[in-house]
Amino acid sequence: MIKSCYIHIPFCSSICSYCDFCKLFLEDKWIDSYLDALEKEIEEIYQGEILDTIYIGGGTPSSLSPSQLERLFHILQNLQKAKNVEYTIEGNFESTTEEKLKIYQKYGINRLSFGLESIYPDNLDFLERKTDKKKVEEIITIARKLGFSNINLDLMYALPTEDLKILKEDIQYVLSLQVEHISTYSLIIEDHTKLGIEKVTPIEEDLDYKMYQTICKMLKKNHYEHYEISNFAKKGYESKHNKTYWNNEFYYGFGLGACSYLDEKRIENTKSFSKYVKGNYQKEIIPISKEEKIEYEIMLNLRTKQGISLDLFYEKYGKRFNDCFEYTFLIQEKLLILEEERLFIPEDKWYISNEIIVKLLEGKKYE
Amino acid sequence: MKQENIRNFCIIAHIDHGKSTLADRILELTGSLDKREMKDQVLDSMDLERERGITIKLNAVQLMYHSKGDNFQLNLIDTPGHVDFSYEVSRSLAACEGAILVVDASQGVEAQTLANLYLALDNHLTIIPVINKIDLPSANPQKVIKELEEIGFSEEEIVLTSAKTGEGVKELLDTIIEKIPSPKGKKEEPLKALIFDSLFDSYRGVITSIRIVEGEVKVGDHIQMMESGAIYDVVGLSVNTPKEKEVQSLSTGEVGYLYASIKSITDVHVGDTITLEENPAKTCLPGYKPMKPTVYCGIYPIESNHFEDLREALNKLKLNDAALTFEPETSKALGFGFRCGFLGLLHMEITEERIEREFGIALIATSPSVVYEVELTDRSKIIVDNPSKMPRREVISKTLEPYVKCSIFTPKEYIGPLMELCQNKRGNFLNIDYLDSERATIYYEIPLSEIVYDFFDRLKSCTKGYASFDYEIIGYRESNLVKMDILLNGEVVDALSIIVHKDFAYTRGRTVCEKLKEIIPRQLFEVPIQAAIGQHIIARETVKALRKDVLAKCYGGDVTRKKKLLEKQKEGKKRMKQIGNVEVPQEAFLSILSTKE
Repeated sequence: MIKSCYIHIPFCSSICSYCDFCKLFLEDKWIDSYLDALEKEIEEIYQGEILDTIYIGGGTPSSLSPSQLERLFHILQNLQKAKNVEYTIEGNFESTTEEKLKIYQKYGINRLSFGLESIYPDNLDFLERKTDKKKVEEIITIARKLGFSNINLDLMYALPTEDLKILKEDIQYVLSLQVEHISTYSLIIEDHTKLGIEKVTPIEEDLDYKMYQTICKMLKKNHYEHYEISNFAKKGYESKHNKTYWNNEFYYGFGLGACSYLDEKRIENTKSFSKYVKGNYQKEIIPISKEEKIEYEIMLNLRTKQGISLDLFYEKYGKRFNDCFEYTFLIQEKLLILEEERLFIPEDKWYISNEIIVKLLEGKKYE
Repeated sequence: MKQENIRNFCIIAHIDHGKSTLADRILELTGSLDKREMKDQVLDSMDLERERGITIKLNAVQLMYHSKGDNFQLNLIDTPGHVDFSYEVSRSLAACEGAILVVDASQGVEAQTLANLYLALDNHLTIIPVINKIDLPSANPQKVIKELEEIGFSEEEIVLTSAKTGEGVKELLDTIIEKIPSPKGKKEEPLKALIFDSLFDSYRGVITSIRIVEGEVKVGDHIQMMESGAIYDVVGLSVNTPKEKEVQSLSTGEVGYLYASIKSITDVHVGDTITLEENPAKTCLPGYKPMKPTVYCGIYPIESNHFEDLREALNKLKLNDAALTFEPETSKALGFGFRCGFLGLLHMEITEERIEREFGIALIATSPSVVYEVELTDRSKIIVDNPSKMPRREVISKTLEPYVKCSIFTPKEYIGPLMELCQNKRGNFLNIDYLDSERATIYYEIPLSEIVYDFFDRLKSCTKGYASFDYEIIGYRESNLVKMDILLNGEVVDALSIIVHKDFAYTRGRTVCEKLKEIIPRQLFEVPIQAAIGQHIIARETVKALRKDVLAKCYGGDVTRKKKLLEKQKEGKKRMKQIGNVEVPQEAFLSILSTKE
């Protein structure tokens, strides 16, 4: 059953130094043909399921003009929405206006996600972002006034331009904005980004870990629940959409470079703009075997506080988890915890979860 | 071919003086290959040889040359230049009547120039001295002529060439025809063919490289290996031109390949004589002195189920590398493997690389060790070629280690740094000889283990690569040796133990621990690395616990990519050896060799 849908808007008015998402410079003539193609793609593929979550990500969706946004939402009217749908749009503060917020509201958007990343000037210079404190506060105030009651902020850390003190100031600022959800990301220097090309060196592993600990501690103290490696939420405000991914459930992905997981196939859309607007949406279809599905399930489930539900595992695969994997040594070393038929990585070990997942997968008992 | 029109010769030189390029040019000039077929170092058939620009295996090729209205058959045997492979050189010399001694026009006479020259003279070969690379701006033929005169040649017999441009190569070929005698044996005598090399071909079995010393061999003949006694029918004969060409017979003086569906590798010994079963020769040819390995190390498959594959690989390599020795051994840390003996470090490195490449077996090699002698308190003597065989200190009365006499050939400005290096390597100064006002040979006695350790690298760096060196083993000397263990997470890892001189143990211990700290990745827990002599810890480092190994972001768009990252991480673990609960990368076992920069 498909209950989630991702929509990719690959346009940005400026390109950040670290970003390796699929993005293009904002140009009006491209946007129109892009939205045309998007409309056709949805028409071709979407089967009319009722959706619990829709997520418009990018790129910078908020960088579209009000009329372009109207057009986009108009297209998305074709998606069937559940009554309590979680309907998110991403954006940055610079390009968001009261007018755009009102359009969001008109079409039923009920969750806003802003890339704040940092408020410290040296960090912003490094990331090549232009965020202005006044604008941030103004937009949040307007959004609240309009009745948006579920706002997320992204925060980046482990930047070579910061130390623990600066990070704490950033966290303090995020806390002062009193949003419902906070995502935090340590800087990853990807190959094909400006930082990668300039061969920027990442900060020391121990400092990175200390920063992560600091974030966890400060957010927890302020009643945010740490429910996934990089995500924190006030009670009841966990991102339903993202949980689709971590629960290894099916989802649609529409737009340039978007990915879908449908019917035991993972589908990657093309990243070529010209191919996409010509209607060659899909680039690669990867069938997922049952064994691979189990591996995905482990990798994704173990990102969360919930972990793997052994009952659900049995229901899904007809096999008992304990018959599939040998993991007693991981329990003994407290790298995994088994509680009430749930197997999870304790929060203080999330930062080394790759090592734990690899060790668990190595303990595979079946052929 | 008339026997008097055959010339068998080899090319000998110090490493890098241009042997292989000269061979290329000779091949070109004799029309053996057209331009289209030429590539650099044609005779070096192993990938490894071309990549490293060195010759490892000897290689025989038959060329036709027209001179003075007559046709001549030239059999050229290319030889390696590195000191580790001098065994191969001596084998090729026995198949020749003459040798071309190549000297670089700017480098001049060097250590292995002399060493190879003496080997050739011992084999009673006719020597043609050649000064090569005369096209180089830095060439100084006049100076090199003087040097050659110093070692007994006259200016008139020296040929000047540039293998790069081809200048002088024709003159060289004419000199070969004129000076090098034709082979002497008699065609009517019973067959005596010297096996000077062999290799394994999956279709034809063992192929031997032979030189017919007397008599003749034909396809279909019943042959007998005089030493091993094995009898076979000759299935095929061929010569390398350098394309392989089938022939019906090989006659006195000729060089070629013989194959006889030989499946058993042990039936063929390099150095053995092949004769005919029905008309055998009375005596066999002198053959070769087997070389004694000077360096040993443990070689283990990373995946323990590859042990038998490794044995097979070693057997096949041994077939054309007689100097390689091996026997099974076990290590607590590494499981089943082989203790292998080599002629030197390069030989060891090349062999490991060949096993990994040609046979696809991932290996762990332990740090190389020389062969020690230990006298016990009960007056008995044992041989220690593996640190794990070192007895407890209480029962040892005396430890001895092999010493070499090394001669270092150097421009005079490096004499100071070289003497300092040798002193630091526990060397005893013997003598210094000035060849002329610019260059000298320094003689030292040095423990072989120091040479094995990092002598080459140090020598190169302290002389900017200008000095060359050679050594010979002169015997055992008493030395204050101790076994140093390495502990990971509190457990001794036998494969990391080494034998060191007591005075150097602290420094070595520290260097090794520091190096291991760099190589061993962070694990889920802190890993102490310690060096110890007996119960006494002499150095310690710590690999800190892993702090960050996480896919920070993972949403719908990058699930497959993130999974691939995890797969890669899982694969990476296959290059690691699990010792206790510590994952140790392959290269850690050689880190013992590393030195402080």
